[in-house]
Amino acid sequence: MRLKDISTPVPKKDHKDKVSGQLPYISDVKVDNMVYGVLYRSPIAYGKIKSIYVPTLPEGYDVVGAEDIPGPNYVKIIKQDQPIFANEWVNYIGEPILMLVGKDLNTLYGLRDKVKVEFEEHQPIYTLDEAIDQISSASFVSYEFGKGLDIISAIEQDAHQIVEEEYTTGYQEHVYLEPQGMLAVYKDDEIVVHGSMQALYYIKNALLSALACGDDEVRVVQSPTGGGFGGKEEFPSMMACHVAIAANAVKKSVMLVFDRHEDMVVTTKRHPAKFKYRTALDKEGNILSMCVDVFLDGGANEGLSSVVLQRSLLNSAGVYNIPHFHAKGHVLKTNTVPNGAFRGFGAPQSFAGIESHMGHLSKYAQLDPLEYKRKYLVKQGDPTITKGNFRDPILMEEMIEDLLDASDYNKKKEEFQRFNQQNLRYKKGIGTSVFLHGCGFTGSGERDHIKATVKLVKSKDGKVLLKISNSDMGQGIYTTLSKIVAKELDLPLEQVSYPDPDTKEVPDSGPTVASRTTMIVGKLLERAAKKLKAEWKSGEEQEVFEHYVHREMIPWDEKTFTGDAYPAYSWGVNFVEVEVDTLTGIVKLEKVYGNYEVGKAIDDRIMKGQIDGGLAQGLAYGYLEKMTTKQGKIQQKSISDYGPPTSLDVVPIESKLFDNPYADGPSGAKGAGELTLIGGAPAVQSAIEDALQTSFQQIPVTAEVIMESLERKLVNRVD
Amino acid sequence: MPEKITAYRFDYLDETLSQLNKEDCAIVAGGTDVMVLHKSGRGVPPKIPKPVVFIDHLSELKRVYQKDKDLHIGSCSTYGELLENPLIPIALKNAIKTIAAPAIRNRGTLGGNICNASPAGDTLPLLYVYNAKLLLRSVNGDRVVAISDFIQAPRRIGRNHNEILAEIILPSVLEEGSHVVFEKIGNRNADAIAKVSFAGYIRISNERIDDIRFAFGAVGPTMVRSIDIEKKLLGKPFPLSETDIDSIVADFDQIIRPIDDQRSTAVYRKTVALNLLRYFLNTSQYQPN
Repeated sequence: MRLKDISTPVPKKDHKDKVSGQLPYISDVKVDNMVYGVLYRSPIAYGKIKSIYVPTLPEGYDVVGAEDIPGPNYVKIIKQDQPIFANEWVNYIGEPILMLVGKDLNTLYGLRDKVKVEFEEHQPIYTLDEAIDQISSASFVSYEFGKGLDIISAIEQDAHQIVEEEYTTGYQEHVYLEPQGMLAVYKDDEIVVHGSMQALYYIKNALLSALACGDDEVRVVQSPTGGGFGGKEEFPSMMACHVAIAANAVKKSVMLVFDRHEDMVVTTKRHPAKFKYRTALDKEGNILSMCVDVFLDGGANEGLSSVVLQRSLLNSAGVYNIPHFHAKGHVLKTNTVPNGAFRGFGAPQSFAGIESHMGHLSKYAQLDPLEYKRKYLVKQGDPTITKGNFRDPILMEEMIEDLLDASDYNKKKEEFQRFNQQNLRYKKGIGTSVFLHGCGFTGSGERDHIKATVKLVKSKDGKVLLKISNSDMGQGIYTTLSKIVAKELDLPLEQVSYPDPDTKEVPDSGPTVASRTTMIVGKLLERAAKKLKAEWKSGEEQEVFEHYVHREMIPWDEKTFTGDAYPAYSWGVNFVEVEVDTLTGIVKLEKVYGNYEVGKAIDDRIMKGQIDGGLAQGLAYGYLEKMTTKQGKIQQKSISDYGPPTSLDVVPIESKLFDNPYADGPSGAKGAGELTLIGGAPAVQSAIEDALQTSFQQIPVTAEVIMESLERKLVNRVD
Repeated sequence: MPEKITAYRFDYLDETLSQLNKEDCAIVAGGTDVMVLHKSGRGVPPKIPKPVVFIDHLSELKRVYQKDKDLHIGSCSTYGELLENPLIPIALKNAIKTIAAPAIRNRGTLGGNICNASPAGDTLPLLYVYNAKLLLRSVNGDRVVAISDFIQAPRRIGRNHNEILAEIILPSVLEEGSHVVFEKIGNRNADAIAKVSFAGYIRISNERIDDIRFAFGAVGPTMVRSIDIEKKLLGKPFPLSETDIDSIVADFDQIIRPIDDQRSTAVYRKTVALNLLRYFLNTSQYQPN
């Protein structure tokens, strides 16, 4: 198949193996001399380990713990604060202390029940609010930037009024279809770690540190990965350390796979957050200044939280050009499961908050929320809140106009008003969100930390192989990246292939995160293909490499939080219509619209997959999915208790793409994976608010939250 | 290695009953609750502490038939089969459609839902307002008990070890003139466990209430139903007066005592239960269904 327009859909490269059920995921794999591992985890939230008792183990069973780690006892991520096996302090319920390995899982479970650990218990911090009360000791990291507070307080002095709001967002669990799993294959001269993952070289670097070994003694191979959503960015590094250390210690291959229950209670989640807004308005409701305080619940260790906070802050003003904006943010420690990467990476929290706040401010101007938001939309050439620049064309006005037409917004508002007056039980509403997503790593991450390299290998018979470290986790990059290379080389798509990445074979093209793969890695591949085409010699084996080149803009300075935080932005608008049952608080989605601008889609159907999946996940974050902790323990341990949406909860999503090719993306493409999630929650919240003519200061707006608000309204009316 | 278990799968009900008479067994109809209840960790089969008897294939337990105005439903009829059966009342079908998802509905049975005796059992509120009777069969013969006597507490039922629940009888259900509603409130539209559920039954003649019944699920250890409260409304003119409605809602306010758990809150459950009750009582027109 030859490609004319790159956006024309093609069958996915892994389609047949997946739909036929033939693709072996890690838990399907068995190798010679393989044993299973089970982890003994801390039953307490915070304390010091006094003693560890392990029962006598039968022949062929072993215990692996901190003393078996050849290198330092931490999972290499950013800070050295996450032990591989906790041996002094435990900081959350579920923290791994030791691993039992052996042939039979049933025997292992029985042995694990007999392990006893004595602790000296200390007072844990269970909630974000408790951590905020002890902010000086609980803060992992903080940033502050924007207009000087002296200027803002002068503006506030003269303002007509100051509006203050607090807003909270909850946990979100990834619920990838395939739970986490990792296998270390023991060989005499190397340990090969296979598993479900998004970031091969994060794992390899963590293993080099933990095993204190040479570069050729450890190897990481990605297995087919059944969904990631960020949950397989940094978390798998810890599991990889567990199996590799165990394999090294017992000289056998070691498999560690979680069942859904274990996965739900111990793996990373989206950071719960709290926002405090303080906005000065003039008489007409125009914004004079805005201050935002962001607090993220980091959980028990820092992990990637500092970078999550950066993205959260960078998106704290949404898509708006707010005069006199100031923001400050903290990541706080609590004695709960560490929170980490999740599709959107801090941005969904911020967008939920700012969209909610702007919607509420519109009342002071007596304007429709969308009309109010449009007054502040950023335009090409506007500065960013970090003194960077929106230098590329912005199509938001066009995208909004299109949806106003498509949804018949104004007419629908009137219709709903009439419906709501007549129907005592059900109320209808329509809500909107406008949003963006910065593509690629925050700030100078691509240039300073990732330094991506890609490689193309051409065989004698003219076949081309992609040698990169990025993971197809279902999002379709086996197909899209192959298309980019095939198009540039003018080859049939069948002649281009992308084998499962293996660190022995592929250079570090960076992790599969941050909406960077298509735009950054895809562009490098496009350039590599161009180079290969120029040097093409028939009948010869050839290799070409390409290295990342930074688009020079306003240099990013993390200390002052100034400069261009991202090379490019993707954009979106969502409209959502709901019907709310006022007797039960149940929300029914009626219509969902999405207009997106991602430069140029590499494959329209794969993009539609990102839109439908991302939006369903984003909508659910706003009203359906609810996870809570009680005394440091996750309460929802099954999919049915947590409640991600089923096909009966989502309606067909009417979406459209707007082309706006980006010069530094392959065929003009920008990032798309995270963008699609971001608008869901704020749009559904505003639709519920519209239906009930009330306001909420939190997501998820669950049936419980709705009923509480309706009851409060009732009481106030009686008073 | 997994431990060996004993399992029986007889061709006929009488052989099954005589085995049950000899030995206390775990009865597996669809298995959709038993398998979850006895689930082990990953990679280890469920541990069922008794010998297992499979009854899902016994055609004697799958018959659905009418006898006078009563409907008899074989306990091993799957939800999927009941949805296809023209004798099954619409309200019961609507309740069945809210259960799990098609795959589970192809395995799960009505008898299983009763014997599992979950406080959130999806068919239970309706079966309570239908005054369902249960036919229990053993080598000693048959006996019939009311569902409200059979279900004693969460996962506790009045079944002797040698008995099988053979039929569910819905008395007079095929008589015309009654209106039945069912509402299940879950966290999502499929594969959800009820946070609250409500069933209401009403029959009106000559603008007076002939018969009225209510049952609430997931707001107590078993279904909440009160014959005493129902009696207060018999013979009342319909539509009901505001005072009558307030007094019934106030009565249930006294007896509905839900709990907080990982799925919802006590406050929510109570508010919604009473809202649904009031809505049912307030409805001024009923089409028999």
